[in-house]
Amino acid sequence: MEIKIKGLTKLYHSEGKIIKALDDVNLTIGDNTIFTLLGPSGCGKTTLLRSIVGLENPDIGEISIGDEIVWSKEKNIFIPPEKRGLGMVFQTYAIWPHMNVFDNVGYPLQNQGMPKDEIKQRVAETLKLVQLEGFEHRPATKLSGGQQQRVALARALVAKPKVILFDEPLSNLDAKLREETRKELRTFLTGLGITAIYVTHDRIEALALSDIIAVMRAGKIVEMGSPKKIYFNSDHPFVADFIGRSNLIEGVITQCSNRHATLKTAIGDIIGLNTHHLTVGENAIMCIRPEFIKLTHTNNTKEKNIFKGVMQNLVFIGEAYEGDIKINDTLLTTTIEPTEDIHEGSEIFISFSMEHCFLVKS
Amino acid sequence: MAQKSLLTPSLIFIVGFLTICPVLMLVLGSFMNGFGTFEGFTLSKYVTAYTDPGLQDILVNTLIFTLGSATVATILALFLAYMNTRTNIPFKFLFKVISIIPMMIPHILFCVSWVLLLNPSNGILNTFFVDFFGLDDAPFNIYSLHGMILVEGLLDLPIAYLIIAPAMNSFDVSLEESSKVCGASNLQTLLRITLPVLRPAILASAILVIVRSLASFAVPSVLGIPGRIYVLPTHIYRIISSGFEPDYGQASAIGMSALAASVVLIYLYRYLTKESSRYVTISGRGFKPTLIDLKQYKYPLFTVVGILSFILIILPVIVLLYTSFLPYSMVPSMKAFSMMSFKHWHSVLIDPISLLSLKNSLILGIGGASIGIVLSILVAYVIVKVKTRSAGVLESLSFLSFSFPGIVIGLGFMWVFVQTPLYGTLWALLIGYIATYLPYGIRPLSSAFIQIHDSLEESSRVSGAGAFTTMRRIVIPLLIPGVVSGWILMATMFVRELTLSVVLSRPGSEVLAVQILRFSEDGMWGQLSALGIIMIAISSSLVIGVTLLGNKFSRIHAN
Repeated sequence: MEIKIKGLTKLYHSEGKIIKALDDVNLTIGDNTIFTLLGPSGCGKTTLLRSIVGLENPDIGEISIGDEIVWSKEKNIFIPPEKRGLGMVFQTYAIWPHMNVFDNVGYPLQNQGMPKDEIKQRVAETLKLVQLEGFEHRPATKLSGGQQQRVALARALVAKPKVILFDEPLSNLDAKLREETRKELRTFLTGLGITAIYVTHDRIEALALSDIIAVMRAGKIVEMGSPKKIYFNSDHPFVADFIGRSNLIEGVITQCSNRHATLKTAIGDIIGLNTHHLTVGENAIMCIRPEFIKLTHTNNTKEKNIFKGVMQNLVFIGEAYEGDIKINDTLLTTTIEPTEDIHEGSEIFISFSMEHCFLVKS
Repeated sequence: MAQKSLLTPSLIFIVGFLTICPVLMLVLGSFMNGFGTFEGFTLSKYVTAYTDPGLQDILVNTLIFTLGSATVATILALFLAYMNTRTNIPFKFLFKVISIIPMMIPHILFCVSWVLLLNPSNGILNTFFVDFFGLDDAPFNIYSLHGMILVEGLLDLPIAYLIIAPAMNSFDVSLEESSKVCGASNLQTLLRITLPVLRPAILASAILVIVRSLASFAVPSVLGIPGRIYVLPTHIYRIISSGFEPDYGQASAIGMSALAASVVLIYLYRYLTKESSRYVTISGRGFKPTLIDLKQYKYPLFTVVGILSFILIILPVIVLLYTSFLPYSMVPSMKAFSMMSFKHWHSVLIDPISLLSLKNSLILGIGGASIGIVLSILVAYVIVKVKTRSAGVLESLSFLSFSFPGIVIGLGFMWVFVQTPLYGTLWALLIGYIATYLPYGIRPLSSAFIQIHDSLEESSRVSGAGAFTTMRRIVIPLLIPGVVSGWILMATMFVRELTLSVVLSRPGSEVLAVQILRFSEDGMWGQLSALGIIMIAISSSLVIGVTLLGNKFSRIHAN
């Protein structure tokens, strides 16, 4: 089901100041999409999610789910959360501690007044779906973190909602379980063919799960696009930096070709993608991700995107070396193959492809 | 090290003496024929006590009274806690006031102020209603089971609130939100999620109020006896205080039931409060819950809270102050104000027994709290820091007296002291007070000790401070808030103590609350009010003075 958000604004009053938790957000989330709201804490992503589900009352704007307007300031419409027919997985899972698994999962159906036999069958089906077959009579408090998370998922799915919302559902799991669940969830949601809205501050989660990512900052959506588009070619330096580690180097554009442009910087000329069609003379930022910086044996710095530097702050983290390369006074963060023979203070030559670095407006 | 190993057993000995001894003597005494001697084993006391045809009514009254008070206090506490934590009701500071201030007003005075307002013959409010509406009879009678339940419920409201409010506060709001997302209405959510999840706290509060009202003596004696409504404590009191020969054996036999019921209930309470930790689920950073907008109900509901706080805090003081200046009870009017005088104040201040009780209560309050706090510090230290098995024994022992109904334990001490020179002296009262109220001193101190995690001391030592400096700059400043609140709690409890005192106090060792009870029995409301106001003033100035002293002290030491 499609979700449309128009001009949504939410104000908070805090110590005499007015804070815009949401600042004129306009958004359309397509049918059967896994849509992620990504941003640092306090950016308004959770407020946006809670406004969609009806737990938060915005100040201006309109929200519609499918053809139905569920909230509108102007038209004075407020459909309470219990009438919106959505499913949601809370950050804390919100598993009711005084009920067993069956009652937790069956609760939405009980509220619809469904006959008992049918509830029993539906709960069993849903528990099977989340691989918790036969857990019906387990007390909710006797579940592990991962199991609680799956009960929460089953509860959100059991009434077959058209839209399911997730509020940082993996943040309470330990690192290993988080990785596994991430993969499972992606496969699972794609299989269901459901619209999912997912809130997280974890960029890897966002990249791994989403069809579309919307990056938020200070109550606004800064950029929206597919994971690859956002990673390889974001429009905004904040997004480029937030979605992955990156070296941002400022400079002036000196030359433009069809798809590329040359940026004059403190370490020399760098050629990179110029999909935003910046023109000669403009100030811009070159974004180079550490993983695309390679050691090279070519020592001709006259060639394109080859630089000479000194290795600093080198640490071995198992799967790679991480370190900074000092070129003149600029430090570039990089990761290097763990098998390379390299030491702190080594003089090295690096290169990166002009297809893997990109220009953004400064 | 040798010091430490001696500390625990000697504390177990002292606390054991204070808690176990009176109980043992009570049991022994209930099988004795006479009083003062432990000779002649007999079961006759039990037979007389439990074949009394009046006992059934007393037990029914006790049941209705305790359950009723628990219901009133818990429902009011739930309402107040919900309003405070979950809605946008204005003036939230009032809730803090409601939960603390009533502790400064002695229960007996609270009861008396209700008598002055609502007694059927000349209660101020009753007279007002009769005059205003031209009624034939007084509309309210505070000398009834209803009246007792209402007043006891209000008195125990702060305790119920102190248990329920934190539970409500730490309640994970997403449990309710997810219920709403799952299609449940507000009411369904309240009934199926909120109240069941809070069940352990609600039960704990109800049980604690039952224990308190079972031990309550002020309400049953001031409101119950004039209406001939007896509950267990007043029944015991009647057996030992009236007639030619008080029968301590029979009273002890009856007391055994009250004691047993209390001990069982308190262990149930402990079990439930432990049980409630089972309900702790994964908690996230927690999104600050949206407060429920009360809209047009905001001010009507606030009025309810306002009236409650007025009734709990201001009304008793006003009624007492007003009555203390009047020659006899009357509705406020020009005439009443023109007749005001200091007559009662004057007669109280020249009454030797009132003055003696004032002096005794002050000695007991300040001296008793100071001795009690030293014992509390040591016990709390052993319980928290010396985690051996015998420390566990000490903890159970020190918690035991929490469940003792004052009048019953007073009887026990009676049997302990009867053949010693302590009988009838202030020392008897002092020992009884400390034994009964020790948990009130230990609790704030053990939380203070828990706060002083070992690493705080260790890091001070590592930072180059010696043991003495560490004590002075780290341990003592962190301990002071606990010492202050423990001391205040004990001192105010001692100044207003009634239930133990009615049993243990003898001519020469009168205390304030007992003197007030005498005034109330004789209907001397004017003198009673004047003395009551003095009593409230003493409690309040103790609280304020020690709080200020504590603040100053911890500042000096932290620097």
